[in-house]
Amino acid sequence: MRADWRTIDTDLLVIGGGVAGSMAAIPALEAGLDVVVCEKGRVLDNCGSVGCGVDHYLTVMESGPEWDTPEFLLRHLPQLTDGIVDMAVASRVIHEMPRILRKIEGMGVDFKDPRTGDYSRHRSFGLPGAYHINFDGTDFKRKIGKHVRAGKATVLMRTMAVQLLVEENRAYGALAFNFRTGEWIAIRAKAVALTAGDVNRLSENASGLAFDSWHFPYNTGDAQAMAFRAGAALTNMEFTEATLTPKGFSAQGLNAVVSMGAYFLNKHGERFMFRYDEKGENARRAVLADAVINEYLLGNGPIYLDCRHLPEEELDHMEETLQVDRYTLPAFYRQKGVSFRTDLIEVSISELSIRRSGVYFRGSGLAVDTTGETSVEGLFAAGDCASVSGGIAGAAVLGHIAGEGAVVRMRATYGARPDIDWADAERIRAEAEAALGRAGGMPWKAFEGTIRRTVSDYVGVRRSERGLRLALETLAALAVKEGELAASDLHGLMRVQESRNIRLNTEIMATAALARTETRTRSAHRRVDHPEPDNENWRKFVLVEKGPDGRPSVRAIDAGRPLADSFARRSQSQTEGSLPYAAGL
Amino acid sequence: MLPVSDPSVHNPIQIDPELCIRCNLCDWICPGDIIYKEENNKQTMPVVAYPDECWYCGLCESTCPTDAITVVFPERMLRNQTDVVTLLGKVV
Repeated sequence: MRADWRTIDTDLLVIGGGVAGSMAAIPALEAGLDVVVCEKGRVLDNCGSVGCGVDHYLTVMESGPEWDTPEFLLRHLPQLTDGIVDMAVASRVIHEMPRILRKIEGMGVDFKDPRTGDYSRHRSFGLPGAYHINFDGTDFKRKIGKHVRAGKATVLMRTMAVQLLVEENRAYGALAFNFRTGEWIAIRAKAVALTAGDVNRLSENASGLAFDSWHFPYNTGDAQAMAFRAGAALTNMEFTEATLTPKGFSAQGLNAVVSMGAYFLNKHGERFMFRYDEKGENARRAVLADAVINEYLLGNGPIYLDCRHLPEEELDHMEETLQVDRYTLPAFYRQKGVSFRTDLIEVSISELSIRRSGVYFRGSGLAVDTTGETSVEGLFAAGDCASVSGGIAGAAVLGHIAGEGAVVRMRATYGARPDIDWADAERIRAEAEAALGRAGGMPWKAFEGTIRRTVSDYVGVRRSERGLRLALETLAALAVKEGELAASDLHGLMRVQESRNIRLNTEIMATAALARTETRTRSAHRRVDHPEPDNENWRKFVLVEKGPDGRPSVRAIDAGRPLADSFARRSQSQTEGSLPYAAGL
Repeated sequence: MLPVSDPSVHNPIQIDPELCIRCNLCDWICPGDIIYKEENNKQTMPVVAYPDECWYCGLCESTCPTDAITVVFPERMLRNQTDVVTLLGKVV
């Protein structure tokens, strides 16, 4: 015990209570272990990345046809991921899909269409089979969250983890604070699962409002940043993701409208999409975004979405389903005074996220092995912060794998958890709290604004060596300012930590983008000075780790090998006998 | 002590005091820690403490048991004048 701190000893600490985190908690709870979930929100009832329900779920079901087998999907993976995928981890995830689907059904989630009593499966997003189940997933996360609560996990709400506890490359907990009460919590754990999502708020969009983003603006790469500082390896961080949005509101859902048969028009009234892809508006998202970017650069903007030709029943269906993706989207059109039945809808490119670049099974984040463990022993990752991800299903399956991996790791571990280094903990706390009311300090909003301008200008959809170097200079200069950040209350202290994490993630992104001297997956990583894919030299992962100077350092790793082959979990100074807290092998 | 909202910033979350039953569900559901409601006090209204950090997700509006909440978009979102080319980077 320590005055002024709350201390918790547990078995598994989960950071992030979304789908991946909840699914990681479940195997540990089932094994009778103690679980603590640390969550910035207040409820486990909603999904982390979308804030609301779910309407489709990607899975192999082994229902009979060849396309519905893991082997068939795996054969297509290199092509689906433009050759950059960890086949070992992806293979484990895809093979586990049928089992995890059944497990989630056992929690009361009904994936079947009530009208037919069967699964409604659809082929979409360029996948080679009808892997998506369309279903009413309004209660999807609520049921999984309920399972976690029923398992008696301790859930710390409105709580942000700030620092991982790592000794001899082994994770044993985290320091966190509650930004409603100001209470600081030191959590010691036998294993830690990082499931805190993607990185947002890192570039500008049309509205100029930082929190108006396609993906969840409260996901700020906290897991990636904390793990990097603790020595973990990250990959695919150079790949970004953008979409097309109604101009002024970075809402999801435009692609759904396009799939119903809407057209894009440029300012001359031309349907230009066929100039970019023979599938026209049915091309992949990356292609659509790319085409619109190009039309704007050619001076053919504004670009519009045209639904006026669609039959009445399609328009009715569109109106009914508009709010599935974003509840407030109908209100936006209503308040704007436009209707897609009669008006052209002006579209924009969204801000960027670091989040699997619209590609299934090629995640951007912490490199993991086939058990979900990162390069730091006892530190697991899943969901949008891990190197294999794929929407809700990817989060659920790798989350569960990581939870099971953590159970095995905990069972193979002997000895007491290391003692907390209180001098270090007090220093981290004092540094964090020093932002509160700092006179003459830099407001976190201004700090983030500089990051967004820098990324938009030089690390966005048109990258070059010179631009990336300029960005890295600015981002490194901002690192020095982190010690001058100011907040006016506890909520602001949380935002200051998020701002630091966003900055570090963008520095990692720019460093990896500079290393990859080719263009891959179109605007996900376009180097204007290296405009073509280079399969000869770049069928490789860019692995990013903390260098000796504390800055991101990169290694190019052959994409034909599992990523885990490239990281040794033990540092060279470690030997089996000298570890105070070692895996008992 | 509850935070005080800045009247110069657009408030996207408009709460009708006639309809609001001061139940604190909006505070509970908000994923961004934007809405603060004093617990166990049926006299005080929820405060939209950080209006410029709103995601416009509408979870508060959809959860409110008395439909007291309306999400209102600002002019810069509704009638946006940004030149999209400025978002597409500088080639140096």
